[in-house]
Amino acid sequence: MNFLTPWFLLGAAAIAGPILFHLIRRIARERMTFSSLMFLKPTPPRVTRHRKLEHLWLLLLRCLCLLLLAAGFARPFFSKNNAMPVAPDEERQLVLLVDTSASMKREGVWDKARSLAEKYLAQTTPADQVAVLTFDRRPQTVVNFTEWVSWGVDQRASLARQRLAAISPGWMGTQLGLALTSAAEKFREDSANGKPVSHRELVLISDLQEGAKLDGLQGHDWPSGVKVILERVDVKPQSNAGLEIQSSGATVGDDQRVRVRVTNDRDSNREKFQLNWQSENGTAVAGEPMEIYLPPGQTRSFSAPTLPAETTAAEIQLTGDEVNFDNHSYFAAPEAEHLTIAWFGLDSDNDPVKMRYYLQRVFPETPGRQVKVISPTVQQAFSPELLNQAAFAVIPGRLAPEEITSTRDWLARGKTALFVVTDEQAAPSLAALTSLPEIKISEAAGDYALLDEIDFTHPLFAPFADPRFNDFTHIHFWKHRRMEFPPVTQARVLAKFDDGSPALAQIPVGQGNLLVLAAGWNPADSQLALSSKFLPLMQTLLDWSGGAVPARFQFETGDSIPSPVSSGGAVVQWQKPDGKKESHAAGAAFSEADLPGIYTATFGDKRRQFAVNLPLDESRTAPMSPDELARLGVPLQTLSQIPVVKAQEIQRHLHRAELENRQKLWRWLIVGVLAVMFGEIILSGWLARREKTAEVTT
Amino acid sequence: MAIRSLELRARVVVEGFWNGLHRSPYHGYSVEFTEYRQYSPGDETRYLDWRLYARSDRYYLKKFEDETNLRCHMLVDQSRSMSYGSVGHTKSDYARTLAATLAWFLNEQGDAIGLFTFAGRVRDYLPARHRHGHLRQLMLVLEKESEGRETNLGEPLRRVAELARKRGLIVLISDLLAPIDELERNLGRLTAVGHELVIFQVLDPNELAFDFNRAMLFQDVESQKDIYLDPETVRAEYQRKLQSHGLGVEGICRKLGSAFHRVVTNQPMDIALFNFLQSRNRRGKLIRRRTQSTSPS
Repeated sequence: MNFLTPWFLLGAAAIAGPILFHLIRRIARERMTFSSLMFLKPTPPRVTRHRKLEHLWLLLLRCLCLLLLAAGFARPFFSKNNAMPVAPDEERQLVLLVDTSASMKREGVWDKARSLAEKYLAQTTPADQVAVLTFDRRPQTVVNFTEWVSWGVDQRASLARQRLAAISPGWMGTQLGLALTSAAEKFREDSANGKPVSHRELVLISDLQEGAKLDGLQGHDWPSGVKVILERVDVKPQSNAGLEIQSSGATVGDDQRVRVRVTNDRDSNREKFQLNWQSENGTAVAGEPMEIYLPPGQTRSFSAPTLPAETTAAEIQLTGDEVNFDNHSYFAAPEAEHLTIAWFGLDSDNDPVKMRYYLQRVFPETPGRQVKVISPTVQQAFSPELLNQAAFAVIPGRLAPEEITSTRDWLARGKTALFVVTDEQAAPSLAALTSLPEIKISEAAGDYALLDEIDFTHPLFAPFADPRFNDFTHIHFWKHRRMEFPPVTQARVLAKFDDGSPALAQIPVGQGNLLVLAAGWNPADSQLALSSKFLPLMQTLLDWSGGAVPARFQFETGDSIPSPVSSGGAVVQWQKPDGKKESHAAGAAFSEADLPGIYTATFGDKRRQFAVNLPLDESRTAPMSPDELARLGVPLQTLSQIPVVKAQEIQRHLHRAELENRQKLWRWLIVGVLAVMFGEIILSGWLARREKTAEVTT
Repeated sequence: MAIRSLELRARVVVEGFWNGLHRSPYHGYSVEFTEYRQYSPGDETRYLDWRLYARSDRYYLKKFEDETNLRCHMLVDQSRSMSYGSVGHTKSDYARTLAATLAWFLNEQGDAIGLFTFAGRVRDYLPARHRHGHLRQLMLVLEKESEGRETNLGEPLRRVAELARKRGLIVLISDLLAPIDELERNLGRLTAVGHELVIFQVLDPNELAFDFNRAMLFQDVESQKDIYLDPETVRAEYQRKLQSHGLGVEGICRKLGSAFHRVVTNQPMDIALFNFLQSRNRRGKLIRRRTQSTSPS
């Protein structure tokens, strides 16, 4: 017989009470009133001489009652035939997920995290399968299950420790949600030796900072049986503030005024900070440091001290807090983009009935971009050099034979042009440009046409895919041309008119593309130029054509910096803040921006600088509540480690509880208690009556 | 205590007492002859004893004891401890009968009788008077049941000293079950103002012998406190303490010049009355001797 709660058996010690009471001479229950007790002192109860127990049967009944009660509370059960088979060699999959984000650079944090991971590695058993992952902006596998199993049992922990020792926190932000979901996916991988896995534990070792991103956790389908154990690295509370430069706030004038967003941690006890500019070599470039006031838990934007106009890159430093890793932010002055669009026509740019009038105005000059529309035909002579300077071309109608060859070659080098079919005479030029055998173009009849069957999956129309913006039905095309392409052509129709004829088609030419529009945007042809769709459509067209590089100079660590030159045979030389240099082909983004600082891209005789900074959220180092993870469905086990042995013990206890619940022997014991109590009442009553009778007779 | 009426009980006791005496030493003592004194010129001639002059041919004056009206106050304790009794009547019954007996007796002698009943404080007060109906009123007050609690002599005796301003006889009937020092302080207050004090300590036979045969819970009738007692164990100690207390009270009485009588509730009442009168007689003789020794001859 076993007991579910055996410590209640200690209650059996209470039988000492009845035994003692039976040894003590019974205190008379009679009460005698007396005039005064001033001369009397209480007599202590006397134990009967020779330890003679009085009323032995009564005593036995009372002791039995207590024993049965104690046994009932101990919840006995028989486990002879229902013993739970103990699995001695149970498999366990353990994933250690170690945070290597920038916030782990704080003093002593990484050492503690590593020692926690090493403690888990030391506790592994030969049956365990272990994977070690680190994460910041994205997770990285240090050791996977297959490697772990392939190593010798004695070497596993030490090899994993060696790999972990070679890792240190980087400068990236914390994508905790992505890391957790990726680590959970590790469990889906088949176990290396094919044995069934009964325990799956994911140990998250992190400072669990408030600024960690939890994207992707909501509604994530966790593999069955996975338990997440949180191991928060204890960090001494420190006042921390961080900053980032708002790229959108940068302006160029006589002086540069930069907006800086500063955040103060909610656990901070500092409120006053200073902002100060430094040049690339660390010397101060502006005057006195600017003092700012920011209460704990708040984020505000400030105008940083002005920078001289000629400054191309600088570093701003925040002082006044106790944590330094996030106190620097880098600024790269935006440079204006100069783009040229070739217009193959002779229209005046001041005639509002002509298409060029609208093309000239659809690209206004901005601080980041200056678009210039040129005509490659100067004084009746076509100039291929002018065309080569262009990032994009618009061909209204027809082309001269010498223009066709040059333009086709220009297109074949990866450029994009928009061919506007203005009349039926454009067919030969279009066929020549696209090298198609024959394209039939005819003037469409009818009052007007509307756009239909727009391909919103194409990058050109993707910005309009949202239902709020995808209504093109208010654009009337008074005139348009019906185009018929040969059946074998690779033309992709991006939009059609409501009569079924193509409105906009994409025809590849070499590495480039020719977009063919079957109607013009001049008022005589359509309302396109007058609609709200025209400007974003043309901007998207320019961006998609590769002629423009997005004017962005501020990046976060881990971002890919787009190439400053989109095409051509130029090689872009990249220089990192630590001096390392790398070469990338034109158009290839630079993806090794893993350090905060100024990155320099050199191509040809041009040089462009980009600033890479820590994400501002990384400065929010106050601890996150584990409830936040639980709310997002993370299957948290406990906040502390639960070893496998203990888990087995818990399971065994549950099994025993189930057995006990099924048998419910305590009920019989309670019935026994009631029966014994009944007997005790009868016996004690009889004894009392007998004593009273004896007293009366004496 | 078989006679229910207190008045009748007192009367029976007093008359029985008188019948038992062959010659009352107190009969007519109010105008009692005390001594002869030789005549001196200037003395009143009406007190000359002419018969003695006839026999001895000398002039002697007869001297008489001055007749005084005694003012007596009975102080009857009616605290809850007096409600104890093991012989068919309580100490309170006995005390009230004793008070009534003394009152009857003194009233018959023509003395003014007053009454205080107390139990923690003075409950009833009848001023000392000698007139028709007063004795009956006194009996009615004595017949009232006790409602008191503890034996606290301090407050009642202070009140008695205030109310009985004229010097007289104070008869205190109580069990005196209170601490000795407290008793001394309170009784001294009465004698200090010139009262003559006679104390009757009324005790139950069980209080003296503590004759219980088995252990049980004993409850104090005043404090309602329960204690477990084995009489065999505590009897000797109890009796020693009680005796010590009695000796203490006697010592106080001696110091204060008061008469002390311990009466047990199973004793006949007339014995108590006899003891009282005897002590009065002794005291009277003592006073006379003192007066003779101090008076100029």
